[in-house]
Amino acid sequence: MWEQFLQNNAQAEVFEIESEATRIVFEANELKSFEVEETAGVALRVIVDGRLGFAASSNLEASDQLVTNVLESARHGDVLDMRFPAPQPGPEVQVYDDELASLPIDRLVEIGREVIAIMREADADASVRIDLERRVRQIRLRNSVGVDVQEEKSPLSLGIVVQRIRGDDVVILFDYFGTTVWDEGYQAFARSIAEKLRLAQRPAALSPGRMPVLFSPAGALVLGLPLMMGLDGKNVYQGVSPMADRVGEQLFDEQLTLLDDPTLEGRPGSSAYDDEGLPRQRRALIADGVLKGFIYDLKTAVQSNAEPTGNGERGLFNPPRPGFSNLVIAGGTTPLAEIIAGIDEGLLVESPLGLGQGNVISGAFSNNLSLAFKIEQGEIVGRVKDVGIAGNVYQDLRHIAALSQESELVYGGLSLPHVLLSELNVVTKN
Amino acid sequence: MREQMTAAIQSSPADYTEIRLEDRQSSRVVYRGHELETASVVLDRGGIVRCLVHGGGWGVATFNNLDDLPRRVRQAYEGARSLQVEPVELASIPVVEDTIHVPLQRDFRGVSLTEKKALAEEYNNVMLQADDRIVDTQTVYADSFSRVYLATSEGSYLSEDRPMCTVYFQALARQDGDVQQSHESVSQVAGFEIALGRHALAEKVARQAVEMLSAPTVQGGRYTVVCNRRLAGVFAHEAFGHLSEADFVYSDPRAQEMMVLGRRFGEKILTIADDGSLPGRRGSHKYDDEGTPTGRTDLIREGVLVGRLHSRETAAKMGEQPTGNARATGYRYPPIVRMTNTFIESGETPLEEMLAAIDLGIYACDAYGGQTALENFSFSAGYAHMIRGGQIAEMVRDVVLSGNLFATLANIDAVGDDIEWPETGGTCGKGQGGLPVAMGSPHIRIQDVLIAGK
Repeated sequence: MWEQFLQNNAQAEVFEIESEATRIVFEANELKSFEVEETAGVALRVIVDGRLGFAASSNLEASDQLVTNVLESARHGDVLDMRFPAPQPGPEVQVYDDELASLPIDRLVEIGREVIAIMREADADASVRIDLERRVRQIRLRNSVGVDVQEEKSPLSLGIVVQRIRGDDVVILFDYFGTTVWDEGYQAFARSIAEKLRLAQRPAALSPGRMPVLFSPAGALVLGLPLMMGLDGKNVYQGVSPMADRVGEQLFDEQLTLLDDPTLEGRPGSSAYDDEGLPRQRRALIADGVLKGFIYDLKTAVQSNAEPTGNGERGLFNPPRPGFSNLVIAGGTTPLAEIIAGIDEGLLVESPLGLGQGNVISGAFSNNLSLAFKIEQGEIVGRVKDVGIAGNVYQDLRHIAALSQESELVYGGLSLPHVLLSELNVVTKN
Repeated sequence: MREQMTAAIQSSPADYTEIRLEDRQSSRVVYRGHELETASVVLDRGGIVRCLVHGGGWGVATFNNLDDLPRRVRQAYEGARSLQVEPVELASIPVVEDTIHVPLQRDFRGVSLTEKKALAEEYNNVMLQADDRIVDTQTVYADSFSRVYLATSEGSYLSEDRPMCTVYFQALARQDGDVQQSHESVSQVAGFEIALGRHALAEKVARQAVEMLSAPTVQGGRYTVVCNRRLAGVFAHEAFGHLSEADFVYSDPRAQEMMVLGRRFGEKILTIADDGSLPGRRGSHKYDDEGTPTGRTDLIREGVLVGRLHSRETAAKMGEQPTGNARATGYRYPPIVRMTNTFIESGETPLEEMLAAIDLGIYACDAYGGQTALENFSFSAGYAHMIRGGQIAEMVRDVVLSGNLFATLANIDAVGDDIEWPETGGTCGKGQGGLPVAMGSPHIRIQDVLIAGK
């Protein structure tokens, strides 16, 4: 199907997606539901007289309507000097695993129970929700200049939400683990959440003021999110990224290296080609604190007179836009234990509330923390409640006190170390 | 549609079977800066089957291809049967048969993409031309028309139209490396008419972004805060509303102790309710996605916890009545307990009186967003002013309110006499992502709020 459409239009693209997923859900520590999902859809793009059009449908009977819609969309598009790319070789990236794709349901249930047991061992009052899903997703991308990329991926995802209530004292933890190649990594992931749960049992009091603040890998997203927005080629093109026009400058501490790496084996964000058929590549966007470049999709690259970087990303119902594959902040040289041991009095940030709220693009962050710990005399002593931090990454990342050797995978696709800032303003209720 | 659904349900060996199908067409025009990003139409069609068997759990199948509904029913049934769990009961509801059409003044499905594009472009130009310091804009026109069909093995059958029309404006102003932004939206269950004549709103967004460039960052600390109506509505939804969703308490005895009915949460002046039956609001439906009629549920009445929001399952488990709050974000999801239109009821204090008692405080307005982790919450105000000597004074920015819910509810010491339901597009992200909701409130005053800042 769609051959005719590709032949009839000199510049056309067909993006097809099909996926099948099996999911089990545990609620309040008990098995709750069993779900199967089948998805199918098509998105079309054409460039007619230099105008780009887009349309999509999950209604497979409506293919004529879809073609009408994409041509109509193209009549309204801005004139743009964009062409779909010719075929190019991409890297070898493993994103499919038979064992994972055919993981028996019983095994999924067993994994769920195992994770719940790990949480309940840390705290008997833990009420755990688990969403465990295995999926096989097929994407086919064709264009009228010869690209025909097919990709089969087998992502397994494990979402954990832990709620622990005692009187009016509440702890909520959530994180998400993803892999496309079977391994036992979920156990270490679950144990790391359980450890936070255990630490959260003891309360601690902290006085407000400026102090050393250590961000855990999950907490470091507070710092990572403004950087991701600033490195997005679209924000650069629009002139709203504080990093626009500053390639080659030393904007951050020398210890900071940030990569977009689609070649990592087994990560859900990895793939050989992006969603526009361009080969993906491992790139340092910030190296030793120096800004090296941005991420682009085809359209943003054309607009910016830049080379596309293979970062076109899309869902079925949206046209491509720049997106990260796997964001990696390189680890440093100091063991985590040593970093903690060196702090007299400070704050460990585990989980911010309201991430992404406020004026993130400016680099400013101001977050209440749903989970944070006090560090005293080189030890994590207990949970601090009603605490908030504020700062700006473009100032505060000029001097990084330390990055831990160890990195962790958080929220599925991000690999981050612990990040220590020597001084940040901390507001507390005390 | 009804015949295929009924036949598929009749083929089901499950104790309870439910089919929901959805057919949606939506169009979208997006400008970013000087460029059109997209002007396009998408078609989305799909369905979900849920089955329940005794001695099993929920079995669910979702799909895009509607050809073979009996096969989907079998998939869901097999799923339900494969679980060995505590039996799930459903509270009983009346069997209903209804067709709900929403009359639109001007049906956006009959408006050309050309006209929608022209409108968005006009608004976009208003923002771009408002000031030299506006460097980036986003203007979105979006409409969506869904028809949703629901059939259950108990005999209910519903067909409901769900239209929504939206304009969204965002402006970014830049000066000396500093970037500030502002945004506004109008989103209602209405036709194209709701999108027209919004030039002044677009202008306001641009002006506000520019004004914020010269506003200083707020000094962190603890303040008496007056929330404007829009922010107070978000507070009611985020900070308190989510706690009153029964799916968070129904199987956690500790949570039930914390949220025991009769517990005092605030002063007598505080009443918070949810009402899915209000006419024409974003969260309004005659029935929820399980077919339960919607209605008003008081959550806090005169400071005391008196109710919570239920699905059929949570109501049965807790021995309470279903409230019509089982809602799903489209056919990919089974319904879960969600809010509809949540509001703080009007009190008696005029705004001037509320301000007069404050020597140093913050007037926090609108919301960039909010998040809650049950007892903890965090909201970013869209903009804010200092209150000095009982008067609204200079603008400040980066105002993030946060705190402990219990302490904060108890610290609400004045409720305004001026409830408002903003036309803004409220969306709740719980679990399944964006679902339309509405939030209403008068001004409220809260003592001792933690503001993070420099």
